[in-house]
Amino acid sequence: GARLTPALSPPQGFPGAAQPPPVGPYPGATPGASPARGLSEGKVTAPMASPRAGNAPPGVDPEAFSWFQSVDTDHSGFISVKELKQALVNNNWSSFNDETCLLMINMFDRTRSGRIDVYGFSALLRFIQQWRSLFQQYDRDQSGSISFSELQQAFSQMGYNLSPQFSQLLLARYSQRSPNPSIQLDGFIHICMQLQSLTDAFREKDTALQGNVRLSYEDFLSMVVTRML
Amino acid sequence: MAYPGQPAPGGFYQGGYGGAPGGPAFPGQAQDPLYGYFAAVGGQDGQIDADELQRCLTQSGIAGAYKPFNLETCRLMISMLDRDMSGTLGFNEFKELWAVVNGWKQHFVSFDSDGSGTIDRQELEKALMAMGFRLSPQAVTAITKRYSTQGKIAFDDYIACCVKLRALTECFRRRDATQQGFVNFHYDDFIQCVMSI
Repeated sequence: GARLTPALSPPQGFPGAAQPPPVGPYPGATPGASPARGLSEGKVTAPMASPRAGNAPPGVDPEAFSWFQSVDTDHSGFISVKELKQALVNNNWSSFNDETCLLMINMFDRTRSGRIDVYGFSALLRFIQQWRSLFQQYDRDQSGSISFSELQQAFSQMGYNLSPQFSQLLLARYSQRSPNPSIQLDGFIHICMQLQSLTDAFREKDTALQGNVRLSYEDFLSMVVTRML
Repeated sequence: MAYPGQPAPGGFYQGGYGGAPGGPAFPGQAQDPLYGYFAAVGGQDGQIDADELQRCLTQSGIAGAYKPFNLETCRLMISMLDRDMSGTLGFNEFKELWAVVNGWKQHFVSFDSDGSGTIDRQELEKALMAMGFRLSPQAVTAITKRYSTQGKIAFDDYIACCVKLRALTECFRRRDATQQGFVNFHYDDFIQCVMSI
């Protein structure tokens, strides 16, 4: 009989899945970094309280606003992929990779210019905050990165039924070469967002919810290209 | 059904070199000019990784007047032909890569009408069609968005795009049992197939 894949319904607690974003203070240092890590030394790209923070546009968190201003290095009123890359770091202080930054810009760019304004940036920070919480949840040993078994468990809890070989492949792709490869926050976000996007694309075609679709070559290419890149 | 970029019998490189990937398979192969570039960067194991491939391609001049390939593109190229999943290429795989990239380059050059080293969306669409891809306008837009800087696509990014399209085509073709251009995808297989690219 037909097999309904659990992941065809939005996974529980998935950021962006019809849930109000959690309200809360931003960490004092760089977004995406665990507050427990050494904040006093090393990279802190968020500014101290800026006198201009009082002029935050309505609806924009003052801290997000001053952050925006320090990231918008050319003061254009917009943040590009390059500028965003300066602002977002992983737990190991590596910058967010280009692909994830591009994905973020595409998601929050209302202007269709390939850049985000202060409202987009503010929403982006909330979004990353949600992802950081989810990431910490799955990082069971609190190592700051997600290992093979933690990734398997994350997929399973999100409702995906993916093979261990697949998890291994993702680990090899998204991590530095090491005896114990693991994934940072940027990689985790990228993977999960692609999973969701491709699931949506598949579900759109699978109107009978069979878990199976018949695709022509051109449909397949177009469907994947518009979601994958 | 003829898939775009499907290699002719014998593989892309028609030079008749067969056998296992690696160093010279028979006398005379070492005189191949490409082998010179390969051997200059490759280690004792006769394999090259992404870094070495980058140097090798730059030295071979395949990029011509265009900017040399970035490392991520080199990694992509390796995964495209890396049959033993080693993350490295042997000489025969390198030769195959070189021939494929050369073919793509010819398309790019012919559509880079002003010789600027970049192509725009319209020229990209024509290049893709010339390669045999029939993509929807939304797909071409998505590709342009991903690979362009200020509406222009550089040679290196164009190559990265070609690699991805080819990998997706392979992924589909392998599942097209009757070669009619249709595949019945189960959800899990679809996800894994596509995200493995």
